[in-house]
Amino acid sequence: MRTGFSIRTKLLMVALLLLLIPWMSYEYVREMKTYLLSGQEQALSLTSRAVATVLHDRPELFSEDTPVDPNNLSEDEIYAAPLPNYINLNGDLSDWGEQVNQAITFTKPENGEADLSNLIEVKYALGYRGNYIYTMFQVTDDSVLFRPREFLRVDMGDHIRLTLQDPGQAPKRYTMVAHEPGRMSIYLMDDAWQYPVTGEPNYDLAAEVDVTDTGYNVELRIPRFVLSSDTRVRMAVADVDNPESRELAALVPTTPQSETDELSKLLVQSPRITKILKGLDRDETRIWVFNTDKRVRTVVGNLITEASDGELDKPSNETGVAYLWEMLRYYYNSALQTIFAYIIEQPSGDFADHERSIEERNDEIIQKALNGAVSSDRRPSLDNQSTILMSAHPIYLADGILGAVVVEQSTNQVLLQQKDTLENVISVTLLVLITVATALLVFASRLTLRIRRLRNATETAIDRDGRIISPRLDAEAKSGDEIGDLSRSVSNMLGRLSQYTNYLRGLPDTLAHEVSNPLNVVNSSLHNLSEEIPGSADSKYMERAKNGLNRIGSILRNLTEAANLEQAMQSETREVVDLIELIESYVDGYSFSNPDQKFKVIIHSRPILVEIAPDYIAQALDKLVDNAIDFAAADTAIVFKVRRLDNFAQIDIINQGSQLPEGMAERIFEPLVSLGRKDAQKISLGMGLYIVKLIASFHGGDVIARNLLSSDGVIFSLSLPLHDPYTATV
Amino acid sequence: MARKVAIVEDDFDQRENYRDALQKSGYDVDTYANRPDALAGMRNNMPDLAILDIMLENEMDGGFDLCRDLRALSPTLPIIFLTARDTDIDRVSGLRLDAWDYLTKPLNMQFLSVRINSLFRIVDSLAKDTGDADEADTLLIDDLEINEDSMSIRWKGQELSLTLTEFWLIESMARHPGHVKTYENMMQITRQSYVERNTINGYIRRIRNKFKEIDPDFKRIQTVFGVGYKWNTDN
Repeated sequence: MRTGFSIRTKLLMVALLLLLIPWMSYEYVREMKTYLLSGQEQALSLTSRAVATVLHDRPELFSEDTPVDPNNLSEDEIYAAPLPNYINLNGDLSDWGEQVNQAITFTKPENGEADLSNLIEVKYALGYRGNYIYTMFQVTDDSVLFRPREFLRVDMGDHIRLTLQDPGQAPKRYTMVAHEPGRMSIYLMDDAWQYPVTGEPNYDLAAEVDVTDTGYNVELRIPRFVLSSDTRVRMAVADVDNPESRELAALVPTTPQSETDELSKLLVQSPRITKILKGLDRDETRIWVFNTDKRVRTVVGNLITEASDGELDKPSNETGVAYLWEMLRYYYNSALQTIFAYIIEQPSGDFADHERSIEERNDEIIQKALNGAVSSDRRPSLDNQSTILMSAHPIYLADGILGAVVVEQSTNQVLLQQKDTLENVISVTLLVLITVATALLVFASRLTLRIRRLRNATETAIDRDGRIISPRLDAEAKSGDEIGDLSRSVSNMLGRLSQYTNYLRGLPDTLAHEVSNPLNVVNSSLHNLSEEIPGSADSKYMERAKNGLNRIGSILRNLTEAANLEQAMQSETREVVDLIELIESYVDGYSFSNPDQKFKVIIHSRPILVEIAPDYIAQALDKLVDNAIDFAAADTAIVFKVRRLDNFAQIDIINQGSQLPEGMAERIFEPLVSLGRKDAQKISLGMGLYIVKLIASFHGGDVIARNLLSSDGVIFSLSLPLHDPYTATV
Repeated sequence: MARKVAIVEDDFDQRENYRDALQKSGYDVDTYANRPDALAGMRNNMPDLAILDIMLENEMDGGFDLCRDLRALSPTLPIIFLTARDTDIDRVSGLRLDAWDYLTKPLNMQFLSVRINSLFRIVDSLAKDTGDADEADTLLIDDLEINEDSMSIRWKGQELSLTLTEFWLIESMARHPGHVKTYENMMQITRQSYVERNTINGYIRRIRNKFKEIDPDFKRIQTVFGVGYKWNTDN
């Protein structure tokens, strides 16, 4: 058999082409993403222009001195007013100017009890200048207690608490405390406000305390970079009065306390602009308004940068089929997610120039807008989770420029959609692929099976010697498709072939039959002739004519012998015989009738039981011995070698003499193939060895011929299956 | 009065040769070329013995049909098939129709006379003694009784239905128990012109089967491989 890919493999390879579908979808989704992003950019650009249009020619909105109207603030917002002077951090509140008067007074301790013995009042103000935000606390306290040096805890004296929280992150707690008037130490605190997380003080923030007649003043400076636009803030003044127990006597929050305990939003911008833009406050979009100094005038809206991944839960309830199904789905989905992780690009991956930082990008786009250009850009979000689209538009005042509007939007929505689409496409494709591949596999297996069955049937329809065993194939004969057609045409072919074979096989018989009658005429005529003419019976011509007749008769017997034998063997019953005994008795008998011929019998083991029709085996031996004697060199013995091999017995008949011609060893058992003869009078139709072959096949055995390797001579091996007493014989 | 032999043979040359040879041996001979003629002729003129070919003109099994019809006319008429058809099936069919022998062409004319002679001896013997079978002509070898006159053989008291050739073969073996009859001997005994070992094997096989119908354990005829057969006196 030639080896090659099976139909199954080929079909599966073709099925692999289905993998082009997810690839195509991937390409398509990428294109889609580009398209969607550019659409989003355009929309952003329009938004920025719209916002800018609203703000055109309204310089008053950009004025630094616009007073704050606290009533306009919502509950959870605190506002940092612009400060007129530079603030010196020294506890001296004189440089706060007007703000001191506008400071808000808090008296109510957090626990709400009006403890008269411990009166505490905090005047508090918030403002900004440049890149810093400043806070002042003017605390009225009857007993000012500083932090004792011997204690590690930082809440053992009067101190200020500051909480900063960026959306989605844990709050950062800072405590400002001092051993003596002057610079305060600022620590990042644990949840309980008792111990610093690290011993290292924070140097970004700065605060100064100064003792007054009624209590103390604190000035705090927060650099803007610490705060993002969404940072929430809470501040409180902690009062400790008892120098012995150093327990917290009162905690006065200086920022609004919402009911939800949320922190306040710190507004460092123009409330009026904010008011105008309030309607645009949305979760996905953030609008910045800058003045010409690139100071933020207002920010509205939020950016949601977190892509919410549907976390998969491994199912735990173990209840039969449903559980199995859940497990299957779980593994299927997690496998898909692993694939997606490779396929879907990371959001921050497509920036052409990674070198530029976020600040630079921001700065550049603002600068462009302030120069009068409309521009767009992209930057990664702070947490690198997604891409932020930015669009900037200048705000005009007459011919000049008043400021700039920057609109930011996360591409998360688009990415999320893209991911969803891709996920759907891929999972559907994968399902289709698996289904189609399985179907193809099943189909191909079935096809292969059927073809294999047909092949086996075809191969067994004719035996090794080319004889037709069954002229009809049963395999696939009833199928309506091409394989069925093939089976039927093979059957058809076999049928015609077997007709022809039967004709050929019957030919010698018919021929012999037809020749018999004229032969009988000649025979009887000769007989009558010799009766009629006295003396003619003794004529040498009569003798030769009879010889000739005998030879013709012999030829006829030869021709019909094989056909008759096949017929006769069908009705023959077999018996279990010791092959050794048979051979010995055969050789004895043969020597008896041919005393001149020498035999040698080599026996390896005895007995060797075989189930045979002994007459026919003897007949086969006759033919083989006749053949061996014909070709044996003069005065050499014919050697019989009988032995048992695995599950069959083998009789080797060896004669010294000439070798078989090339290619003859296989053909010699075919009918009418003869090696020639020594004696011109002797009939050699080449049927003898064919009969041996017939007898061997009838017994389920075989016969082969080959040349001796060691010397000149030929060995014929007749093998017969051993009798197995445990198998029921037919 | 000369015995009358009828020959049914569609081949003119053979038919006339048989007639000449048999007339020379002293028989009256009627010849027929086909089945209807033969049946009509013999119905009026019943012969003492009939020699039938199987293929008659266009009738493939004309001889068999004729044999059946003749049997209906005369249950005891000796019938010999003489044919070119040499298959086991034909032999069995012929003998099943109660033919006395089945010979294949080409046949030695001398042997044909011998056979016809022997058959008439059987006929005579059957006609003569109906009651006393155990006579001097009976040869007894263990359980085997051979009646030379009627050419019949009994095994353990039961009669075997044998053809002439089969009788001769058993008789020749049993006459010298333990001695091997070679194929060459046996070929002579069958009294046909061309006989192969295979044909002898076929005869012996059929003989054994006939014994086994009576006695399933029959094992007296032993094959001497490569040589021939012998009759064993004991198992």
